[in-house]
Amino acid sequence: MDKSSVLIKGRRIKEKNILTKRGKTEKAIFAFVFVLFFIYAASLLLPLVYLFINSFQPKLDYYNNLGEYGNAFALPRTWMWQNYVTAFENMDMYDSYGNRIGLPIMFFNSFWYVIASVFLNIAGCCFTGYALSKYSFVGKRAMYAVIIFTMTIPIVGSTGASFKLMTDLGIYNTPFFLVTAFGGFGFNFLILYGFFKNLSWNYAEAVFIDGGGHFTVFFKVMLPMTRAPIITLAVMAAISSWNDYNTPLLYMPDYPTVASGLYKIKVSFSRFGDTPAYFAGLLLSIIPVLVLFSCCSGIIMKNFTMGGLKG
Amino acid sequence: MVQLNVKKRNPRSTFSKYFFLFVLLIGPIINWALFWLVANLSSIGLAFTDARTEELTIVNFKDVWQNFTSRDGTLLLALINTAKYFFTNLLFVIPMSMIIGFFIYKKIFLYRVFNVIFYLPCVISAVALTRVYTEFLASNGPLDQLFNLHIPPEGLLGRSKTATSTILLYTVWTGFSSNILLFVGAMTRIPIEILESAKLEGCGPAREIVSIILPLIFPTLSSMMILAFTGLFTASGPILLFCPNGENNTMTLSFWIFKQVYGSGEVGGTGSYNLVSATGLCLTVIGVPIILFVRWLVEKFPETEY
Repeated sequence: MDKSSVLIKGRRIKEKNILTKRGKTEKAIFAFVFVLFFIYAASLLLPLVYLFINSFQPKLDYYNNLGEYGNAFALPRTWMWQNYVTAFENMDMYDSYGNRIGLPIMFFNSFWYVIASVFLNIAGCCFTGYALSKYSFVGKRAMYAVIIFTMTIPIVGSTGASFKLMTDLGIYNTPFFLVTAFGGFGFNFLILYGFFKNLSWNYAEAVFIDGGGHFTVFFKVMLPMTRAPIITLAVMAAISSWNDYNTPLLYMPDYPTVASGLYKIKVSFSRFGDTPAYFAGLLLSIIPVLVLFSCCSGIIMKNFTMGGLKG
Repeated sequence: MVQLNVKKRNPRSTFSKYFFLFVLLIGPIINWALFWLVANLSSIGLAFTDARTEELTIVNFKDVWQNFTSRDGTLLLALINTAKYFFTNLLFVIPMSMIIGFFIYKKIFLYRVFNVIFYLPCVISAVALTRVYTEFLASNGPLDQLFNLHIPPEGLLGRSKTATSTILLYTVWTGFSSNILLFVGAMTRIPIEILESAKLEGCGPAREIVSIILPLIFPTLSSMMILAFTGLFTASGPILLFCPNGENNTMTLSFWIFKQVYGSGEVGGTGSYNLVSATGLCLTVIGVPIILFVRWLVEKFPETEY
């Protein structure tokens, strides 16, 4: 074992001791807080359990459980897998031309919406973050000031004008609306700006000596080194885009994603409609993000807690 | 020889540098100019334009004033509700997130599991969460059955008295998630030696959080506070998912703006962009000095370097 690894291990043990060693009063406080945390965590998990159980209930049993039986968490007498088939095949809405849009199309819309918006957003932020952190040029300070200004000044009420602008440009209610994601400013910019700023310029110098240019430095050296924060931000942006119902509702009403489509289905839902099938649809809609989160939760937590991302 | 090389390469390298910067920045700059600058300038233009005659006018501002000052005006109610959401976030959600973050940082039992579960509201779609939340708080719903809460038949969201507080409770319930991550991240960067010496001095958890952690994570806290103030007039809950028409006195400013634009001419939006722009301009004029003051105040606190 080399010296550095001993040092790191020793530091971790010391860190663990300081963070976990507690006196009697402290232990009591932590036990009390643990109970509170447990209750809060249960409150966050319970809706998922409820959704899961009731997505398998026969329709009549579901309403009876809420009504006369008074047992909302009762397990299904018959596990109705058919609810998932019904959700996938029969749950639908209609676009402004009267075309039927079912759950499969909503999933398809969600996938391209997420991929395009995340790619454009992260690419834009990488471009601006790298250019502003690593190069000196006329207008650099002004540009940085503008970015901070747009982030911190509370401008309200431009939604109407934006909506009009999208319509005038012909991108309202078309997939071309996604060009707006190629902004390069905002929270992701700040994170990437900070990360690029901390990377040594010596790597670039080495590439220049070898005859490489600025594009080689950026795409082959700097971007790969920024992989960890880029993946973290991309995963978080993907989760947020997948769940975003407002933007597709407002600007792309004929291209409903699962989030905006399920909202529209909910609005048109009759009082005693097939709620278990709707629950099945809701569960199906959260499976992709849950899978993504399960695969990447380690990366997200690690990058935030190990100081990879500075908020 | 080396000098010659440098002289020869300089012009080309300057050109290639600016060409590279041009390629990187042209897209984001056009995007910002079009979708931020033009949109905001035309919003100012709309605020001073008569919707029917398209002539310059201040009639929109008169309408805004009337709407704000009349007792049954929607905007006044929206402003009050927005203030409730804003202050709940500023005074409760952010401090509580910090406290939760502290216990996770201090490795409370099962802290890794809690960290993941507490982030779930960011992962699960609000459409799904609000649907279940509504059902949980309905008359004869799961909570009513479990705790015999005597929820009225129309549900808590169906009554004007309780609707906004019910949505506020939802925003608190789901509001900690990403804030906790940011606070834990900031606390993890604190050098362990500082905590060690505090421990040796006999510092308890309360003292530790107030005298050590808080000053050291102040940059993160202040950034979050500034961002919260940025949303001073746009603070809201998911009103659309709970009360799609802002019924039962649930209207907020951002939802009111959304309603004027959403589904214009088809599903019910009023399309009164001029009134929206005038309202927005008034609120921006009020909001800018406030945010500048908050930024000035925050910068007054010395930043701790470590």
